[in-house]
Amino acid sequence: MVVGDVTTGTELLVIGGGPGGYVAAIRGAQLGLDTTLVERDAYGGTCLNHGCIPSKALISASDVAHDARQAESMGVFADPAVDMAGMTEWKDGVVTRLTRGVESLCKNAGVNLVEGTAEFVDDGTVRVAHGGEGQGSESLSFEHAIVATGSRPMTVPDFEFDGEHILPSKDALALESVPEKLLVVGAGYIGMELSTVFAKLGAEVTVVEMLDDVLPGYEDDIAAVVRDRAEELGIDFNFGEAADDWNETDEGIRVQTVDEDDTVTEYNAEKCLVAVGREPVTETLALENIDLQTDENGVIPTDDQCRTAFESVFAVGDVAGEPMLAHKAMAEGEVAARAAAGEPAAFDHQAIPAAVFTDPEIATVGMTESEAEAAGFDPVIGQMPIRANGRALTVNEKEGFVRVVADADEEFLLGAQIVGPEASELIAELGLGIEMGARLEDIAGTIHTHPTLSEAVHEAAAAARGEAVHTR
Amino acid sequence: MFEFNLPDLGEGVAEGEVLTWRVSPGDAVTEDQVLAEVETDKAAVDVPSPVNGIVRELHAEVGEMVQTGEVLITIEEEGDAEAADAATDSTDEAESAGADTEEADSAASEAAAADTSEQSEASTSTADGRVFASPSVRRLAREKGVDIAAVDGSGPGGRVTEGDVEAATASAGETADSDDGPTSVVSKASDDGDGPTTAVSQADDADTDDGTAVKAAVRSVSGDGQEAASRDQTLATPATRKAARELDVNIDAVPTDQTRNGQPYVDESAVRTYAEAQQAAQAADAEAVSAGGGAAGTTAEAGGAGTEATAVETGDGERREPYRGVRRSIGEQMARSRREVPHATHHDQVVVSGLVEARERLEPLAEERDVTLTYTPFVVKCVAAALDQHPVLNTALDTENEEIVYRDVHNIGVAAATDHGLVVPVVNDVDGKGLVELADEINDLVGRARERDIERSEMQGGTFTVTNFGAIGGEYASPIINVPETAILGIGALKERPVAEDGEVVAKPTLPVSLAIDHRVIDGADAARFVNTLKEYLADPTRLLLE
Repeated sequence: MVVGDVTTGTELLVIGGGPGGYVAAIRGAQLGLDTTLVERDAYGGTCLNHGCIPSKALISASDVAHDARQAESMGVFADPAVDMAGMTEWKDGVVTRLTRGVESLCKNAGVNLVEGTAEFVDDGTVRVAHGGEGQGSESLSFEHAIVATGSRPMTVPDFEFDGEHILPSKDALALESVPEKLLVVGAGYIGMELSTVFAKLGAEVTVVEMLDDVLPGYEDDIAAVVRDRAEELGIDFNFGEAADDWNETDEGIRVQTVDEDDTVTEYNAEKCLVAVGREPVTETLALENIDLQTDENGVIPTDDQCRTAFESVFAVGDVAGEPMLAHKAMAEGEVAARAAAGEPAAFDHQAIPAAVFTDPEIATVGMTESEAEAAGFDPVIGQMPIRANGRALTVNEKEGFVRVVADADEEFLLGAQIVGPEASELIAELGLGIEMGARLEDIAGTIHTHPTLSEAVHEAAAAARGEAVHTR
Repeated sequence: MFEFNLPDLGEGVAEGEVLTWRVSPGDAVTEDQVLAEVETDKAAVDVPSPVNGIVRELHAEVGEMVQTGEVLITIEEEGDAEAADAATDSTDEAESAGADTEEADSAASEAAAADTSEQSEASTSTADGRVFASPSVRRLAREKGVDIAAVDGSGPGGRVTEGDVEAATASAGETADSDDGPTSVVSKASDDGDGPTTAVSQADDADTDDGTAVKAAVRSVSGDGQEAASRDQTLATPATRKAARELDVNIDAVPTDQTRNGQPYVDESAVRTYAEAQQAAQAADAEAVSAGGGAAGTTAEAGGAGTEATAVETGDGERREPYRGVRRSIGEQMARSRREVPHATHHDQVVVSGLVEARERLEPLAEERDVTLTYTPFVVKCVAAALDQHPVLNTALDTENEEIVYRDVHNIGVAAATDHGLVVPVVNDVDGKGLVELADEINDLVGRARERDIERSEMQGGTFTVTNFGAIGGEYASPIINVPETAILGIGALKERPVAEDGEVVAKPTLPVSLAIDHRVIDGADAARFVNTLKEYLADPTRLLLE
């Protein structure tokens, strides 16, 4: 206990104001709990400030520029100029609007907002150190705490982020100008999204990836569609190489990679984006004070109510493990708040959708065909190529497909994979279908608007039943 | 396999009624985890698991009486997993229960994975595979404490519906609101007003055949009432449609031979006639289902579900609630007392100005010790003092040995009305305790009795009972003796009443008392003398200091 500490009490303490934390806090307050939210940086967390939202803003803006240039086949000729500073300013405006929105939503719900970093004193108290030296601290006792401290980008040895040459995604989203040459380490979803952005903005983009394809974890036929398009955009892929070292040069930096056979390759670039994954943030919490263990990945283990080993402490979002997705965090925040309020809530969702905002987009939900097999189902799939969809052609898109996976016996929808325009929006219907326990017939028996991309979903379900009209 | 017999639940208890199952077949249980709530006599007792393992079979339905020593539940112990798998191939291997512990462990941990899911992976599937049910149905299952993975779905392709969960709740027992006991089941079912839910057999041995059988039964019974139509379209006035909605009748199912413009036409009276016929058919169905309890095969299982603690609207202005649990044990106790004990009741009224004054003086002092001081501890204390002078009222009649048992201690039962019926916690050795201690103990006992968090032993060993019906209202009553005790004191409402004093009528705080005695042991004169002594103490509690 620090001299001058004032201990106040709260029923529900939420640590971290990202998507998991702010949803938990607002729901907790709505359920009548006296709720306090401690945030050390910015409301909205990584998602709103440095992740989902700013990256989508830049993706849309870069698409506008790129599509205008590529519209000659549609009879449109244009050569738009890109003012990166202006684009960043617009993006920042979007972010500010949303983060302020989160703050006022919290306030309107009656959540007490405290700025600072919380660390556990025991399983009923935290000490909150306010930002900056000499700003003091306070102790907060709680009945329930929800840890929602999120994650941060992982680093590669010898590639510490320096704010100038070696950048995490956060810094890449805040560049004042488009780098002439950009080296991207990691071809996961963040690396692929940002490679695409900068390629469309005119950068010469090179990607190095340790594994042998883009988007590890996605099925080959999906990754291939995205890789082909990226290559069309001029992105240069180098697989099987690991970033090893770098040094400054007159023009920027030179990065050395090594492959399995210790062959060294050198790349010159202006900037290097390192996007090799994310890791949970727990060191600020002083978990050792309550002897709360993290697993080998640094994740706080939780049960289906998002409860940790301590009855009074919950963990939600990235800090509670994969998949590190904002919407998973929100759903967990909701469960934890309800459980803290005494409701029999549980994270029993059947599927968590995921979207990658590459060109074209990827979106998945539930099981793939092989996952369904592994789970003991006899899967049947139905696929509809995007090129057979009228609306896709009218937006000048023809690559990609919608695939549904169902159980052959009862035709229950088990999963779906979409690669194509607006995949991130199309997946919602299939997520609902899975949660509702829908069967193929339920999707195929629903009239879908013409002419829309969603007809491809309808057609894929029909195809899985052998009843497709628009494909063979 | 571990066959767990109903353990000895306390002195002289030979049987218990399964009130709630806390586990379902397929659940992983750990040692000491509560398996079921079993009600004996007047207390609900949690029955913990003696082993780690997987629940395989529940041997009693909710509401069923189980004798001590009878098999209650079958649990597959952790070491059994391998043996059970092997059993299908070779019984010899299964006999050697020393199965490979490593594999057995992994089997057990797989089963446990559903609970300890730390990742979405585990959440998207259960041990038995994916659950096909909408989020609202899954929430309902959580609220009802039903393991949805064990529920057989009646929806398309076996999708679990709201009705399936409700039916499983009825058959597996009300676990979510177990504190409320059977009464809550009754009120909920009747509030819903949906009459008998489709009976589905217990999850462990349920298969689709059972469901079909029951559905078929429902349909045939409905047919006895009035044949349902099934049209695509029906002409009716808006008022008729409204009536149909209110009566929860599908207008396309209402039989009619009227037509308008060549289309079937239904009027309001047809709707009402059909609704009544449906109700009657459902009631008859419910009776048929519950009467089928003894029948063979699938009907027997369906019948088991039908006899659950469910109120049944019979459709002719009455409602049937099951007579069991605390209600039944109270009833049996009361009937026995009235049947065996010749009751005589002595009434009197005490002017209690001294008592009121004493309490007013002591209340703030008790408050300082965080104890709420009501009149009950005073009465209990005065009763103990009076019993000391009239020991014949502190007796039990041992008819077997033909002896009257005089008890040295004064253990006073305090009857408490709770949401789940009358409960009598006992305050032991009243003489050895001060007022504050008594008040504290009584508050605690009664509080826990209301919460149903009271041990059976805390309701035993009484030598005399006080029932404070006046707390609710009234003056005199004829209390029923809590056998084998031989007397019970009823207390009316303490309030100002007209009292004749020195030729004038004045308002004084008075307390009506009603003493019921077992006339086999105690005579009217004993009763009157006891009440006279009690009156002296109640009128002036400082007399307690003399003893």
